[in-house]
Amino acid sequence: MKHRQTPPAPPARINVTPIIDVALVLVIILLVTAPMMSMSQLPVDLPGAHARDTERPQFISLTMTADGQLALDDKAVGGLGEVAPRLRERLAGIPDKDRLVVVRADASLTHAAVRRLLDAAREGGAVNLGIATAQITDVKP
Amino acid sequence: MKTRRDQGAAEGPLCEINTTPLIDVSLVLVVILMVASPLAFESSFGVRKGAPLAQAAVVDDVPDRVELAITGENRVEVNGRAVAVDQLAGALQPLLAADGRKRDVAVSCADLVSHGVFVRVLDIAKLNGAADIAVAEK
Repeated sequence: MKHRQTPPAPPARINVTPIIDVALVLVIILLVTAPMMSMSQLPVDLPGAHARDTERPQFISLTMTADGQLALDDKAVGGLGEVAPRLRERLAGIPDKDRLVVVRADASLTHAAVRRLLDAAREGGAVNLGIATAQITDVKP
Repeated sequence: MKTRRDQGAAEGPLCEINTTPLIDVSLVLVVILMVASPLAFESSFGVRKGAPLAQAAVVDDVPDRVELAITGENRVEVNGRAVAVDQLAGALQPLLAADGRKRDVAVSCADLVSHGVFVRVLDIAKLNGAADIAVAEK
């Protein structure tokens, strides 16, 4: 009678295929989302709104906190006077129609402050301007 | 004599469910959600630069452009007629949806009004069918 053979020992190598799988997928995710994530981490309480415009995934963000701190994308900006030159530098080489600048201003700021920021953005060459809002998802009464 | 079940028990690892792909996929989903969540909760209104609001009274009953002037935290003038922000939707509806044509809205805002109120007015205008929003200069 033939003895049943013991199964061969599993190969001692670690299977790297899943690791490479996950790593590649992460790289792709980061590549795709990196341009969208250029947003400052400064705390901003955005005003809420129900309506939403057609959106473009890529934009340049201009952030202003309640205490007046400014940031262009994720980099801090010293003062309002610095916004236009910095923005002009940032927009260099971007075709006019893609020049979308979204102003992320805190809800507690006065309109005068926000308007000065909008003016500075236009001076810096922003062709399309947006005002950032926090999406309200509840159903309207 | 060994039964089939005994043999199965001896070859334990071969009978386990392979969880690696499951963990793979769930980790990737977690990362996608982490990356995408700040984007999903933020939106924006496109605004144009507008000419200063006309000083003269609006002559036509249904003009091509609706002019909104936010004069206080709860006071808006719609084509020169004052209404409270809460009643703005009702005041705007007949103007914006007059003949099925989308109308532009020009908004001017007093300096000391908060940005939150300003965006609330823009939101109401958008929800009631404003095509394009222009923020008037001072």
